[in-house]
Amino acid sequence: MVTTQAISVQAVSKIYPGGVHALADVSLEVRQGEWIAIMGPSGSGKTTLLSILNGLDKPTSGQIHVLGTDTHGFGPDDWAVFRRENIGLVFQQFHLIPYLTAVENVMLAQYYHSMPVREQALAALERVQLAGRAHHLPSQLSGGEQQRVCIARALINDPKVVLADEPTGNLDEENEARVLDVFRSLHAEGKTLVVVTHDPEIGCAGERIVALSHGKVSKDTRTAEGERLLSARAVTGEVREHLR
Amino acid sequence: MLSRILLDSLTRRLSRKALSVVAVWIGLTLVLALLSLSVDVGDKMNLELRSFGANITVEPLASAIPVDVGGHRLAAEAVPSYLDEAELLKLKAITFFWRNNILGVAPRIRAAGQAKGQDVDLVGVWFDQPVATGSEPLVTGARQVYTHWAVQGAWPTRAEECLVGSAAARRLALAPGDTLALAVGREQLTLKVTGILTSGDKDDGSIIAPLSAVQGLVHAPGKVSSADVSALTTPDNKLAEKYRQDPKALTPDEYDRWYCTPYPGAVAKQVQELIPGSAARVVRRVSETQGMVFSRTKGLIVLLAALTFVVCSLSVTGILTAAVLERRPEMALLQAIGARRADVLVLFLAEMAILGIAGGVLAALTGPLLGRWLVSLVFGSTAELHLAVVLVAPFLGLGLAWAGGLWPVWQAVNQDAAQVLHGN
Ligand SMILES: Nc1ncnc2c1ncn2[C@@H]1O[C@H](COP(=O)(O)OP(=O)(O)OP(=O)(O)O)[C@@H](O)[C@H]1O
Ligand SMILES: [Mg+2]
Repeated sequence: MVTTQAISVQAVSKIYPGGVHALADVSLEVRQGEWIAIMGPSGSGKTTLLSILNGLDKPTSGQIHVLGTDTHGFGPDDWAVFRRENIGLVFQQFHLIPYLTAVENVMLAQYYHSMPVREQALAALERVQLAGRAHHLPSQLSGGEQQRVCIARALINDPKVVLADEPTGNLDEENEARVLDVFRSLHAEGKTLVVVTHDPEIGCAGERIVALSHGKVSKDTRTAEGERLLSARAVTGEVREHLR
Repeated sequence: MLSRILLDSLTRRLSRKALSVVAVWIGLTLVLALLSLSVDVGDKMNLELRSFGANITVEPLASAIPVDVGGHRLAAEAVPSYLDEAELLKLKAITFFWRNNILGVAPRIRAAGQAKGQDVDLVGVWFDQPVATGSEPLVTGARQVYTHWAVQGAWPTRAEECLVGSAAARRLALAPGDTLALAVGREQLTLKVTGILTSGDKDDGSIIAPLSAVQGLVHAPGKVSSADVSALTTPDNKLAEKYRQDPKALTPDEYDRWYCTPYPGAVAKQVQELIPGSAARVVRRVSETQGMVFSRTKGLIVLLAALTFVVCSLSVTGILTAAVLERRPEMALLQAIGARRADVLVLFLAEMAILGIAGGVLAALTGPLLGRWLVSLVFGSTAELHLAVVLVAPFLGLGLAWAGGLWPVWQAVNQDAAQVLHGN
C-alpha cells in the first residue's frame, strides 16, 4: 500500500539555549489519517516535538516534512500561511482571545484563512456542543468549554492535520469524554491526529503510541485499536484485491 | 472582521487603553500649547517690543531731504514744513490696506521757545487722543506709542497741562505741580507741570505739551512736524533684504509679494503713498531687534515643542511596551492560527492609531486652551485659537502612537511564539 506520509520527522534534534537537549535524533513517520499519541514523562520533549511540527519552534538539526512539504527554510510567515491552510492546533492552556466571544474566536481563524462566515463558525461550535455558548466571552466559559472552543477553532478551516498538546490535561472526565468523541469523529473523517497526552485512556484511543524519554523515541507501539484497524484495513484490501 | 476585533478590543478593555490615550493627550496638549504659542509669539512679541518705540517715522518730504545751502543744512530747522494732522487719520481708515497693522500713531510738532529766561525745546503731542476710525474706537498718542516713557507724577489730562523731560526739569528746577510760563515768539502760554518724563532719548530735554497748544503757539493749527507710527510688521527676510539693497532688482512677481507682506519697509512705503507730501522711514534699529528676537524666540519655542514631542513619544513607548508585553500571548496565538507578522502588526498599529487619534482629538481641545493661557500668562493678552494647530492634532496623535508603538510591537511579533504559548 503506497501512502504519502502526513508527517515525516528525520533525525530531529533540539538543543535549547542553555544546552538542554530537549530532542535527540528523533525520527518519526505518521501516515495520513493516522491517529497517534505521544506519551512520556514530564520533560521528555513532547511539547518541543509538537512545537517543531507546527513550526512555532525550529529544530536545531534534522528535517521535517508535513503533507509532503519540506519545511526546511520556512520563516515564521511561511509557517503561519502553512498552518492556516493545513494544521489545526489545540493547546493545553486553551489560548483564546479574551475580548472576543466564542464564535468570534472561531471566526478569527476563518479570517486569517479565507473569510469569516458566522454560520460556519456557529456550526463548528455546535459540533463541540457549544451552540448555546457562542456569544460568551472566554472568561464566562468553563475550562472544558474553552477547550472545546479551541477545538472548534482548530477545525474550522478543515485542516488535514490536527496537533493537540495535552488537550484534556485541564479537563474533568465528562469534558474529556466529549473531546475524545470529537477526536474519534475527526479520525473517522480521515484527519491525521497527533495528540500529546499523559492519559493512557486518550493514548489508547489512537492507533499508535509513541513514547518519548529524554528526548528520544523509546517505544513505538500499536494499540489494540490500531491492531483492529490494521486488520480491518488488511481485510478491506484483500476484498478489494478479490473484487478486481 | 478586523474592525470587529478592533472594536471588541477597544470597548471590552477600555480601562487599559485609557492610559495610553491619556499619555498621548497630556503630551500633545503640551506640544500643541507650545505650537500655538509659537504661532502667537510673532504678533505678541511685536506688540510687546513696541516698548522699544515706534518703528516707522513719517515726516514731511521737505524735511526728509536735506537741502544744503552754502554748507548749512536747510531742512526742518530753517524752513518749518508740516504734515496735515487730519491725513494721519487715514492710517486707520478702512481704505488703508494695513490699517489693522497700525497699532498707534503719535504726531508731534516741534517749536523753540523760552522758559525762565532759558531756551527750551517744545514738543506738542497727543497724550491719549481718541481717534475716529472707520471701525473700532482707537485711543492713541504718546502714551500708547511711547511705551518706554516713564512718567513720574501724572500724565497730562487737560489742555493746559504738560510733562517736562527729566533733563529740562533739572535745568529749569521744575517739579510736578509747578507752573511754567512759556514764550514762543510773541505768544505766551502758561502750563501746569503734571509729571517728569524719563524717555532715555532727546525728549528728556524737552517740554512735552498737548499738540493743539503747541500748534496754537506756532500758528500752525492742524499741522504736525512728524509722526511716529507703531506698526505690526513681519521680520525682514531675503526678499525684504533684496528690496532694501535695490528696489529695482525685484521681479514684478517678487515686488507684488513684497508689497503685500507687512515688512517694515513695505508698510512704510505704503504709509508714505497714503499721506501726501510725506516721507516715511523705518526706524531700522527697532525693527531689526524686533525681527531678530521674534524669530529666535519662535525657533526656541518650536524646538521646545519638538523636544516635548520626543519626550512624549518615549513615555508612550513605555506605556505601549508594557501593554504589548501583556498581550504577547495574544500575538503568539494569532500567529499560531495563521496570522503573518505583518497581519499582527497591522492589527496592533490600527488599534494604536485609534488610541493615538483619540488622544490627539482630546489634545486638540485642550492644547490650544493651554496655549491661550500661556499667552495670557506671558504676554498678558488673549490669543486666538489657531485652526491649523487644532487640525494637525489628530495626525500628531497618530504619529505619537505609531512612533511609540511600532518598535515594541515589532519586537513582540518576532518573539518565540512557542515559548509564549507554553507559558515559559
Ligand atoms: N524554552 C526553553 N528553554 C530551555 N529549555 C527548555 C525550553 N522549553 C523546554 N525546555 C526543556 O526541554 C525539555 C523538554 O521540554 P518539553 O516542554 O518538551 O517537555 P514535555 O515532555 O512537554 O513535558 P511536560 O509533560 O511537563 O509538558 C525540558 O527539560 C525543558 O525543561
Ligand atoms: Mg509539555
